[in-house]
Amino acid sequence: MENYRREREPCSSELRTELARITDDIDDPVAKLRYLRGAIQRGDATQIDRLPFGAVRRALYRFHGLESLDSVIELEGEATPVGAKTLAARTRARRFVTGTLAAGLLFLPALLAGLAARIDAPAPPLDVAAASPAPRPNVPQQPVEPLPESLPADQPGIAPSTIWLADRGPGWELYSNGLRIETTYAVYGERREYRIHHRDGAIEPGGYSKPIGILFHTSESDLWPLEADFAQQLRRGTAGLLRYLQHEQSYNYLIDRFGRVYRIVDDESRANHAGHSVWARNDDVYLDLNSAFLAVSFESRWDGGRSLPITRAQLIAGRNLTHYLRQRFAIAPEMCVTHGLASISPRQGLIGYHRDWARGFPFESFGLPDLYTVPPPSVTLFGFGHDDEFLRAVGERWPGLIAAEQMLAEEARQRGLPVEVVRRERQALYREAGKSRAF
Amino acid sequence: MSNEGKTMDDRNDPGSETATAAESSNIGASTTRTRIGLDVGTSKVVIARGDSTRSESGTQLNAFFVVPYSSLHEATLQNNRVPFFREGDELVVYGSASEKFAHMFNAEVRRPMAQGVLNPGEPAATHVLETLLGTLVPVARSPGELLAFSVPAASAETGHALTYHEETLKRYVRERGYTPLAVNEGLAVVLAELAKESFTGIGISCGGGMCNVAVSYLSIPSLTFSLAQGGDFIDSAVGAVVREPATRVKAIKEETLDLAQPGSDKIGKALHIYYDTLIESLVEELIRAVTRSQRLPRSEQPLPIVLAGGTAKPNGFRERFEKALRQRTLPFKVADVRLASDPLTATARGALVAALAER
Repeated sequence: MENYRREREPCSSELRTELARITDDIDDPVAKLRYLRGAIQRGDATQIDRLPFGAVRRALYRFHGLESLDSVIELEGEATPVGAKTLAARTRARRFVTGTLAAGLLFLPALLAGLAARIDAPAPPLDVAAASPAPRPNVPQQPVEPLPESLPADQPGIAPSTIWLADRGPGWELYSNGLRIETTYAVYGERREYRIHHRDGAIEPGGYSKPIGILFHTSESDLWPLEADFAQQLRRGTAGLLRYLQHEQSYNYLIDRFGRVYRIVDDESRANHAGHSVWARNDDVYLDLNSAFLAVSFESRWDGGRSLPITRAQLIAGRNLTHYLRQRFAIAPEMCVTHGLASISPRQGLIGYHRDWARGFPFESFGLPDLYTVPPPSVTLFGFGHDDEFLRAVGERWPGLIAAEQMLAEEARQRGLPVEVVRRERQALYREAGKSRAF
Repeated sequence: MSNEGKTMDDRNDPGSETATAAESSNIGASTTRTRIGLDVGTSKVVIARGDSTRSESGTQLNAFFVVPYSSLHEATLQNNRVPFFREGDELVVYGSASEKFAHMFNAEVRRPMAQGVLNPGEPAATHVLETLLGTLVPVARSPGELLAFSVPAASAETGHALTYHEETLKRYVRERGYTPLAVNEGLAVVLAELAKESFTGIGISCGGGMCNVAVSYLSIPSLTFSLAQGGDFIDSAVGAVVREPATRVKAIKEETLDLAQPGSDKIGKALHIYYDTLIESLVEELIRAVTRSQRLPRSEQPLPIVLAGGTAKPNGFRERFEKALRQRTLPFKVADVRLASDPLTATARGALVAALAER
């Protein structure tokens, strides 16, 4: 009963367009309102907005909208308030769906047979170039070194000594270092609130709400080739991704492939980005990275060990955004880390549960220390390990991981214990600390 | 004035339990199932009743005055069929007649509501408002019938008073046998006037105590806010500068004001100035709210704006509002600015549409 007074987010533009088309054929205001309320409520409950293709989403919304006409057509004893054109469209849509289902059932055995024939063939690698119309050269693929993209170091030139909000307008903010943040998708989330643990197991008294670090992610979304022929798909893909991220409050920022920076979750709010993750600086240990770290995601997909499908525009925008966030929240350089370096699986006792930027993040281009050379605290403090599957995915251990595992081995040698015992001791410390990480 | 020991039976109210005595009322008995939309405004209470094909409306001035009891006063009121009730040693005259008869009894008109909600500084507010509503809202024919009533958007000025106001109205509506449905005032304007646009656009209700705004997409209120200024602000501001009672300014405003023509006298000129002040504040607040909102979609779709309420009624108001809008850089596109087909009843009609649409 609060539907007519509480503010709500409007439904997606695609659903709005389809519903507006259908309601054009309903003259009676009451029937129109009743229809819209029902259709929007039903539309909100579906997962259509998560589908990647706009044409499919629109078709489903239209079908969904036409089906919702039942609520106004089938009123007992009342004349149908819907025009003949829309009723005919509803009938056609129903026939189409019925026909498609029937055809699907008819061809299902053939499809299953075809799949069975191909089941033993190796699956083709996921590759952004696969969507490109250009033929791929038939050459054997060489293993690609997981080297980061490079950018020239920041030129001092006329860069401002501090970064400030230079201008703003509806839906955007411009900062003095050239960073432009699109704010049209920005939402407020849950307030940040986290605790700081010490390496000795003690907990800092009181809670904290200011972000202390930055966690870099990749969106792991579908990518279209960066070519003019795919401009529309690129735009739509990003728009769909943004809607999804906004709904899930996944990151604080997304940088799309053209280098546009979108604020998703407000800086003061926590995003749902880190899962179980660990990072540390000096004596301080952070276990709730959702609250303690800002999330910056690049619209990209990182296939372990392969070249990065990240654009130069994204790198430049990412660098500007990092400078701005570091200045605003006084973030130390060694607190700008990748998700792949911090993520863990407490249940399995393994690192790398999420692997975005587990290798290849261009720390140097961002003016940051190379954290691939730093022993990850998940290993040194809490004894998390890795398995063969992890190694296959990332290609090889990085210097920091090697150093961390050597430290554990050295401690085990000094204490005369198997290294696995030392790991279990450390993981027990994590579980103990985890009990008190929440308020 | 105390309400102790008093019941509705104490009223000498020719209009109670029916709406037939309400000013401008043309509500008649209906043979079809009808529902009710109610606009509980600071200045006026408007009721719309009907079904999806036709609606009828009635109005009461949301005001009252008090005179000491005497048999002469009582006889005068009864002879003139003016609704009143006796409260101890006083007679409380309420509704549309109060403004007219206050002069006769040399009394000051008082308001049960201020700035869109029950007047916290008026002890008789609830009792008078409920009595006044009784002249418009009949007892429900069947229990649980839906009655939609307008509520302002929350603002810093209304605060907790809005909750009290809304709950008081809900309780009263339930006591009359209805199921209450609260509808944002700005959204009600959209529901009444923007059906052809699939209820997408901006509805603005300019009332006596405040202006209420709703940005709606397909009937979903995605942004609502209120400005704690309205017709009363204009009346009191003009009254203060021209040294005239606000009630006189109000009477002149309602009877003669034409904003399309330059003000011809001191009061007219001051009315133009304060109308412009109100319009400027409203446009500025609209731009600020839309810019700040995190909910509104970035859309190229031009939005129609509908103006309603008694304060928007004077000739030339729409043009001045549109001019103020066009002078600024807007964070949205405007399709057109229009005045509601009947500005005084738009909110009640919109509430009625909501009541009828609910199962």
